Amino acid sequence: MLWKPLHLVPANTKFDFMGKRKLALGLSTLVNVLSLVGLAVFGLNFGIDFQGGIAIQVRAKEGVIHLDSLRATTGALGLGEVSLQSFGDDRTALIRVQRQEGNNACVAHADAVMKHRAGEGWSVKPGAEGAGDVVFTAPGQLDSAGWRDAVSRVGLTVLERELPRANTNVAKIDMTPDQRAEWCQQVAIKVIDDAIGSKYDIRSTESVGPKIGAELMHSGIIAVLATMGAIVVYMWFRFEWQFGVGALIAMLHDVISTIGVFVLFRLDFSLTALAAVLTIAGYSINDTVVVFDRVRENLRRYKKMNLVELLNFSINETLSRTLMTSVTVFVAVAALVVFGGPVLYSFSIAMLWGVIVGTYSSIWIACAGLVFMKLRPEQLRHEEEGAKAKA
Amino acid sequence: MLNLPRWQTIAIIVFTALAGLFALPNVLPESIDNVLPKWYAQNRINLGLDLRGGAHFLLEADLRGVMNERLTNVSDSVRAELRKNQVAFKEVSVEPNGHVLVILRDEAQRAKAVEAVRAVDPTLAIAGTGPTIDLTYSEQDLFRKKKEVIDQSIEILRRRVDETGTIEPTIVREGDDRILLQVPGIKDTTDLKRKINQTAKLTFHLVNEDVAARGQALPATLPPTTSLVPTREGMQALRAANPKAFEEIQSANPRLTPEQICRRFQVPCLPVFKRVIVGGEDLDDAKATFESQQNGGRPIISFTFNAAGGRSFCAATRQNIGKRLAIQLDNEIISAPVVQSAICGGSGIITGQFTTQQTQEQALLLRSGALPATLTIIEERTVGADLGADAIHSGTVAAVVGTLLVMVFMFVTYGPLFGGFANLAMSVNMLLVLAGMSILGASLTLPGIAGLVLTVGMSVDSNVLIYERVREEKAAGRSALGALTAGYERALTAVIDSNLTALIAGVLLFGFGSGPIRGFATSLSLGLLTHLFTATIFTRMLLATWMRWRRPTELVL
Repeated sequence: MLWKPLHLVPANTKFDFMGKRKLALGLSTLVNVLSLVGLAVFGLNFGIDFQGGIAIQVRAKEGVIHLDSLRATTGALGLGEVSLQSFGDDRTALIRVQRQEGNNACVAHADAVMKHRAGEGWSVKPGAEGAGDVVFTAPGQLDSAGWRDAVSRVGLTVLERELPRANTNVAKIDMTPDQRAEWCQQVAIKVIDDAIGSKYDIRSTESVGPKIGAELMHSGIIAVLATMGAIVVYMWFRFEWQFGVGALIAMLHDVISTIGVFVLFRLDFSLTALAAVLTIAGYSINDTVVVFDRVRENLRRYKKMNLVELLNFSINETLSRTLMTSVTVFVAVAALVVFGGPVLYSFSIAMLWGVIVGTYSSIWIACAGLVFMKLRPEQLRHEEEGAKAKA
Repeated sequence: MLNLPRWQTIAIIVFTALAGLFALPNVLPESIDNVLPKWYAQNRINLGLDLRGGAHFLLEADLRGVMNERLTNVSDSVRAELRKNQVAFKEVSVEPNGHVLVILRDEAQRAKAVEAVRAVDPTLAIAGTGPTIDLTYSEQDLFRKKKEVIDQSIEILRRRVDETGTIEPTIVREGDDRILLQVPGIKDTTDLKRKINQTAKLTFHLVNEDVAARGQALPATLPPTTSLVPTREGMQALRAANPKAFEEIQSANPRLTPEQICRRFQVPCLPVFKRVIVGGEDLDDAKATFESQQNGGRPIISFTFNAAGGRSFCAATRQNIGKRLAIQLDNEIISAPVVQSAICGGSGIITGQFTTQQTQEQALLLRSGALPATLTIIEERTVGADLGADAIHSGTVAAVVGTLLVMVFMFVTYGPLFGGFANLAMSVNMLLVLAGMSILGASLTLPGIAGLVLTVGMSVDSNVLIYERVREEKAAGRSALGALTAGYERALTAVIDSNLTALIAGVLLFGFGSGPIRGFATSLSLGLLTHLFTATIFTRMLLATWMRWRRPTELVL
């Protein structure tokens, strides 16, 4: 035989896991408290999904991207807060711009874009105060098709019937303040394109309104809570209630410390990151089930054994399984971290952490929870006898 | 025992082969694709917007406006019905909380009034005491109506965006009042936005010539059957003369009725009967065309009615020769030509001062029907095609590398035989997921690929659980056969528990999540679901078949 069985984890380990349970619990509590404090003090680095605003991905036409000069250029455009980060490789960057207001400054930007794209003879001015109107002035007479082409250069879409019908050199475009605000996002994108377009290609643009973020956060929190609730109920149904609570504590531990990782490394908290948090909640239980399954089996088999001893015994018995299942997922996720590209980066990092911490918490946190909840073998036996007596 | 009846073995193999068949169109080259029947070849996984590039919009429907309009209609009908039944009332008003209040002059007429209300709409919930009657729609009814509005909007959007059926947009409902519109492969969104913005509600009304004959611009009193609607020329004149007023009309919330606009802003209006003779829903077709040269050759819109529309139009024109017929589009009268003769051919034309482009656009909007609610864009994203190509590349590399690493790991740890079983089961699992996604017509996004990679990692888990248990049983002194059987059976509960709990998370993710989360949740949940099959039945078949064939006395594991 060319191949010999490979035991990455020795068959008969006798680690005293439960002896260190107070240390582990203390450490974990500290990590969790720090995570929550960090969350409260520094907050999450919310992505555009949650925060709203504009995100533009650009790539250098030639050579590498110079973040400093790009930052200086885009920061001086008068678009408010602009932040830059490199994105994936050294040619690509993500420009984040705060959400634009539909004010006169935005119309002034549109004026500049129009002059830049259509010629100096053009001008764009705000209409009546308080309304969303914009007045375009052309260097010469235009018909409605001409007007339509002209205003589309600043990203403005208007219905044909709102354009002047007769040939004219002045057109007032009617917009509500909300419509103008929405248009101003597109104007800002054009402003950036004009400023850096000679050296950079725009690869994607995103503009997200302010309303959606709060809703996403809301449904995200509900999703996390519902997932936890459903899993605990399932565990309770399949095991004793103490197992359910133990699993819940382990799960909370994993989720909170994952959020701590997001806070610590300022990872972009986007919708995919939220998906990672929920998957970790689901995955956390995976290893816990393996350990708990054995604990339950041993509780029935060794009725006299002391609980701490029994837990230690069960954990050691299943150690190889617990670690090996984690390794396979770890390997797959590691490939995502390395090759998955910038979009998946924060998701993959979070998952990687989730796999590690999920394994740790199954061993220490979930089982230590059982000890603190005083799960007794006798208790289980009584219940079983009761059930038998009934049957 | 680890035995499996022969029929089950055959069933599993057939099932797996079927899955392979359904996953196959995804990898077939186009030349073969064209030969195959369409229903089969079309079963393939769509690439999401982030992978193929295109535009993404999140639209919000103005449901409040729709509900308000509905309540206004109800209050009008109630008023008319009460008058018809000679019930005296102080007022019928639409309240901001979504109720219609009727206040009677005489409490004694309450029963009669309630009957009249029932005649208007039997689904109205009636409350209130004494002279007050409080009308409202039930929650269920509102919910149903809202759903109807969104569903209808989606249908109409589809017709407008994808008239030719080649663009394959994704248009789905998001939450209560939103619609997600994704159009692959486009870069300039200007044209698209134009198609989304207009409601295009077309109705034909008779002009009330008696009122019009009075010659007043704004008649002080109107018969209840008649209302004032501004003319298009009038609105355009207002826009030129008083832009602020026009702004006010556009942004008013709740929206102003046409008659309110007429009275408040002194716009030139026409008195028209409220009764709709034919509506846009009865249009079969609308085309942009030109008048004959004798008539000036201007761009016009020609339309055809369906049978019902044609009949009503025929009857109405026959009875009203010499009167004007107003063509109303989105609360403005485009034109009001005099009926020269009965028009019974089921078709007609709309003239107005149109340009060619305008007639083409209007015709498309009329063909597709009116949007039941105004839609506002609240989120807009575009993804360039080359960015999509990059995403495909990095996703594929990550998936391939991840899968290979897992396979190598399994081979190294459990040997060519058992590692091979695990990898075979994992490959079958992937095949099932791809087949499932093809059958569902699901979109594969970058987060979806992440879900697949995660599935790869998790689907060998159950083999690990089984093998580790077998090792334990072997160490405890069982025979090869006994260790394998016991290992499989005892690991099964842990396998099922861990899969079901992860599946719970996956399904909830799908339920609550939106956008990128959905794509991830779809592939992950599907992967876990199919994994329940491969981990339990398929692996069992492999082990049982192998044992029957080799009858091993010693396990090398």
